[in-house]
Amino acid sequence: MKIDIERAAMSAGCNYKNGTLPSCAPLASTFVPEQQTEPPKYGVDEALTRGTLFPGLDLPFMNIANTSNPYSGTPLGELMALKFAIKELNLYLDTHKGDKETFDMLKEIIALYDEGHRKYVKKYGPVKIDDLMYSEKYDWLDGPWPWEFCERMGKD
Amino acid sequence: MFVYEKKLQYPVKIKNPNPALAKFIISQYGGPDGELGASLRYLSQRYSMPYPELKGLLTDIGTEELGHLEMVGAVVHQLTRNMNINEVKAAGLEAYFVDHTAGVYPQFASGYPWSASTMQVSGDMIADLVEDMAAEQKARKTYDNILRLSDDPDVNNVIRFLREREVVHYQRFGEALRLAQEKLNQKNIYAINPSFDK
Repeated sequence: MKIDIERAAMSAGCNYKNGTLPSCAPLASTFVPEQQTEPPKYGVDEALTRGTLFPGLDLPFMNIANTSNPYSGTPLGELMALKFAIKELNLYLDTHKGDKETFDMLKEIIALYDEGHRKYVKKYGPVKIDDLMYSEKYDWLDGPWPWEFCERMGKD
Repeated sequence: MFVYEKKLQYPVKIKNPNPALAKFIISQYGGPDGELGASLRYLSQRYSMPYPELKGLLTDIGTEELGHLEMVGAVVHQLTRNMNINEVKAAGLEAYFVDHTAGVYPQFASGYPWSASTMQVSGDMIADLVEDMAAEQKARKTYDNILRLSDDPDVNNVIRFLREREVVHYQRFGEALRLAQEKLNQKNIYAINPSFDK
């Protein structure tokens, strides 16, 4: 039955930019199309730049999307991109907890983040207070703080 | 509990200070559809959510909104950094300056202070989730209007990121509402409030 519905949807021109709706639903309720499982995804750096991991949800104002972000390619930028992908998959899985393939992807990205985070902290100082375990002295207070403007970016 | 990470979710690097832009971008810090209201709305509504998907999603989006609050604060801070009194006057920022100097205060673009009356915690799953979907659209609209008003590429880069997050959150709240409604009596989904009527 489900396959029939999906086939009908595909023949109606549906793709990853569309989602599924119930064929029969209670009145006086509201429905957002459900994003299909195993949706296509951007690479993590492009995802951070555009503000979503999912091409299907990428709907920019006036069709103008970011083409770069100021930390792209820096060590901190890589960390941000991985952390952003984790957050995006976290929200997706909150409403698609049965999507095993995407869950496995989340675990892979967490492993990459964990490794990148450890390397970053050893070189540039703590990101969380627990990171002080890698510090020689109490360098939590060392700037720049995240909101401060600095010419050089991402501790590059 | 919450643990601080000493980095932004998305980089904010604004080369040219411009207090005139800060005057209205402050509305996404403490305005009627801003990030402070968003985070408090979701993090407060979660206590009365009956299903794990809803508890999780409100916690996870509410936490992300705190990160967005920090980003908007960073934008306002960088736009008003190193300004002298002549620049304050030239930007028409006197009314803000006299109360807050170059601090970042949660207020509407109009100057009205952040108010909990801009959000609701109804204790009713459907009412709250429908409000949350509307809140995401209202925030998206505010970012659209900021993009109409600002021609600074460094500012707009950040604003486009934040705006896209509203679109994604809207989708997730919609899916969560659907999951929640499916757990109710399909003959009358309003027969009870599952947060209260056990």
